[in-house]
Amino acid sequence: MRMATSALLKEGAMRSTWRTILAFAIGVMLVTAGLMQAALAQEESPTPSGADERVTFTFGGTGVPLTMNPMSGYLAIEFYFWTATYHLLVDWDLNLGVDQEGGPGSGLATDIQVSDDAMTYTYTIRDDVVWSDGEPLTAEDVAFTLNLYKGNHAYLPQNYLTLIDGEVRALDETTIQFDTKTPTSLYSGEVAYMYDYILPEHIWSDPSIVGERPKQYSNVPNVGSGPFIIEEFETDQYIKMVRNPYWTGPEPAIDEIYYRIFKNEDALAEALKQGEIDFAYPSTPTIYDDLSTQPNIETMNGTIPTFDEIGMNTGSAYQEQDDYFTPHGDGHPALTDPTVRRAIRMAIDSQTLVDRVLQGYGLPGDTIVPPVSVEGAKWTPEGDEVLAFDIEGAKQLLEEAGYTDTDGDGVREMPPGSLEPGRPLEFRYYVQSNDQNTVNASQFIQPWLEEIGIQANVEVVTSGRLGDIINEGTYDLFHWGWIPDPDPDSALSWFTCDSRPPDGKSYGNNDAYYCNPEYDRMYEEQRTTTDPDERWEIVHEMQRVFYNDAAYAVLWYGPTFAAWRTDRFTGYRVQPQPNGDPLESWGGPSAVWWTLEPVGAAGGGGGTSSVETRGIPAGIWIAIIAGVVILAAVVIVLSRRRRAREDEA
Amino acid sequence: MGTRTYLLGKILQAFLTLLFVLAFNFFLFRVMPGDPASLLLRGTSAYNPENVEAEKERLGLDKPLPQQFVTYMGNTLRLEFGESFVYQGQSVSEVIGDKVWPTVLLVGTSTIASIVIGLLIGIWSGWRRGSMFDYGSLGFTLFVYAMPEFWFGMLVLMAFAGGVGPFPAIFPTGGYETVGADLTGMAHVFDVLNHMVLPFFVLTVAYLGEYALIMRNSLLDVMADDYVQTARAKGVREQQVLWRHVVPNALLPTWTLTMLSLGFIFGGAITIEYVFSWPGLGYLTVQSIEAKDYAVLQALFLIFSAAVIFANLIADITYMYLDPRVRAA
Repeated sequence: MRMATSALLKEGAMRSTWRTILAFAIGVMLVTAGLMQAALAQEESPTPSGADERVTFTFGGTGVPLTMNPMSGYLAIEFYFWTATYHLLVDWDLNLGVDQEGGPGSGLATDIQVSDDAMTYTYTIRDDVVWSDGEPLTAEDVAFTLNLYKGNHAYLPQNYLTLIDGEVRALDETTIQFDTKTPTSLYSGEVAYMYDYILPEHIWSDPSIVGERPKQYSNVPNVGSGPFIIEEFETDQYIKMVRNPYWTGPEPAIDEIYYRIFKNEDALAEALKQGEIDFAYPSTPTIYDDLSTQPNIETMNGTIPTFDEIGMNTGSAYQEQDDYFTPHGDGHPALTDPTVRRAIRMAIDSQTLVDRVLQGYGLPGDTIVPPVSVEGAKWTPEGDEVLAFDIEGAKQLLEEAGYTDTDGDGVREMPPGSLEPGRPLEFRYYVQSNDQNTVNASQFIQPWLEEIGIQANVEVVTSGRLGDIINEGTYDLFHWGWIPDPDPDSALSWFTCDSRPPDGKSYGNNDAYYCNPEYDRMYEEQRTTTDPDERWEIVHEMQRVFYNDAAYAVLWYGPTFAAWRTDRFTGYRVQPQPNGDPLESWGGPSAVWWTLEPVGAAGGGGGTSSVETRGIPAGIWIAIIAGVVILAAVVIVLSRRRRAREDEA
Repeated sequence: MGTRTYLLGKILQAFLTLLFVLAFNFFLFRVMPGDPASLLLRGTSAYNPENVEAEKERLGLDKPLPQQFVTYMGNTLRLEFGESFVYQGQSVSEVIGDKVWPTVLLVGTSTIASIVIGLLIGIWSGWRRGSMFDYGSLGFTLFVYAMPEFWFGMLVLMAFAGGVGPFPAIFPTGGYETVGADLTGMAHVFDVLNHMVLPFFVLTVAYLGEYALIMRNSLLDVMADDYVQTARAKGVREQQVLWRHVVPNALLPTWTLTMLSLGFIFGGAITIEYVFSWPGLGYLTVQSIEAKDYAVLQALFLIFSAAVIFANLIADITYMYLDPRVRAA
């Protein structure tokens, strides 16, 4: 009897359990069906007017912008956004010369008057430029911006204003004036030297917007004068730009610009192949080669101003003490001798490095002014002046200077009468763990040096550690690189005596400790000469002197890669010509932002390009989630039931 | 009384550990080689002594170390982490805040999924020791445990985002959401889910091996215990022996591991964040170490330490209830 009751109870409980499960499952299914219907309807329904007709241009790369503030930014990737939102006084053209067209994308200055002594400059600016909040752009904005940069140690912008004496003055709505400490040709408008984006005074002078320290202002969203403004900056994810409603130039064909940040270059390449992005900046040759073979993708490799070098410690421990500099470190004394440095330069085959390390992309290096600098700035060694790859010649050079292998161990020793007679030519050679090219290059350079009787001990360190080592002067050779401005002034300034790291702790650009009073004199002279042709002559001579003194062995001018979908946008503008950056990244506002248009738009096909999502459709997601919920419910109910049954047993 | 003393002791211990970590973090980052002010600017035209000095002043690094320490302790106790050294114009809270949710979402769900799946595999293979399932799962779990996440992640990315051979290219190549789509509501939720599928799958597979292996070993230990023999001798059904007697006891050693794993969720998953461009705290840590962003690093390490210390505390407390021997001791 008891058993029977129990069995009946169990049966009843079981029925009720299954009923609960069934009811629950039906409920979940009904809700799921409803949600699926809604989701499918959402996916299929025509979009509300205009919403999906936005034309979106998305470019991607592994470069991570850190700030949108021109006062504190310094990375190449950050300039793309400024080229779409700000004006310069004097702008670059596609050949890195001065943009003389005078259109909406040219510099603000329409006329530049230089006083007879070349020490007072009067700029007249356009009166048709309006900020994105409707305020007109006036001379007040220009004067305010330049003074702001000058007075706040704005990283890059202040570099171009160091010759200006006192404040920049706004004379009226369209005229500014300033004086310089010396005569100069840099501000005469014959070169685009002043790389200073003009900011709106009514924003940047207001502490309630920019805070007490304008250099730390996020500048998002910004008020700009170009065709686009920066609307969103999601750290490490993306940057969004939208149209400036007050832009008076040609109407852009795109409504929104996105820059998407990839941490992984393979994913970047896949995103381009799959059409998630329209344009990509790959950085390694293998990825570039892969993209070059894809359908619907066009690629370009070119050069931008950049170089890699082997820097040599020319004498941090042996140079004279002065007001600025205290000798420090323990660089090898042999490297104070230009002959040894020239021999090292001659033992390095830049062409082989380009072929093997850069897989054929890039150009062999010679001087510190890259080939794509401002027109006329570069000097190229020719004839006898070339320190060409020549192992035998390098050996002979060392032999004649007395560096012979006296003990037969394959390593030469310093000659009698030198700083340390008999000391072997054994050098510390630092490369960077975070730049594989420096490691790869050392595998070629070390054996070359060995061939000429120099032992180089390669040590791999982080760039942070290498920075310290250089400032301490405790190195002999290192591999690093620079990204100079198109104008050679900045690159030349790095190697003046007063740019050396002064005391073993502090920093200086002159990481080779190169100090040549003649070079310093010429540096000042090129800044202060008023004749542009004469300036180039001096600039050439400086390069010749520096090349011949071989404080740097410039290894290569690195490549820049670009790849874009041919079925999405046309109208790219390559700068510098003919093979540079298709997104015209010097100057501002860059015309590329209004010449880019969806493929088919020009032919009347009404081409559009909007963003599409990828992945499982919403309906399937809902079904999956519902399935998981039902499964979990069944498992829980069944296990409870079993437990209850076991307890009874 | 004993319980209360035990609890108070554990809480005090956790608090002191946190305080120690707080002080330790300050010095830890400052003994790293390199100077953040110059690292910020090296390799650019902006790199000159004036700018470096101005940067030092802005970052407060021109002050003597003890003064920096006092400022740091005071600010941290007020939960003011200051401005990021690297992301100019953004506070540390902003830089970190943007990444906390994606990190917890991805690493949290995949940790839980891997714990559940891993433990189930471990339980079943231990219980069926010597069976085909045991051999198969042992091989599988050892393989995924030893497998580099990075490599597996790249394969999955190539297969399901790029499309290789029979694999369909259905999922996005990375990121947290579709940039430029401006989705809202449920459409946004599904978009995030689509972005999460591949990294979630890789992380779950990569993590589950550890739990499965530990659970299996622990189960085998417990199965040899006398009380299991007793239960069987009493005539308790096999399923009941497993779920009532063996599993609860075998779970004890994995419990600590599980709690610690949950504590490590905030640490993110560096390699997977890298492969799938996922905005997470792991990759931010690596970047901040490289750039010596002391401000961000101090806050990150505080969060990591606090999470682990808290998880440990919870483990200690729950242990007391799970294992009465702890209370007795």
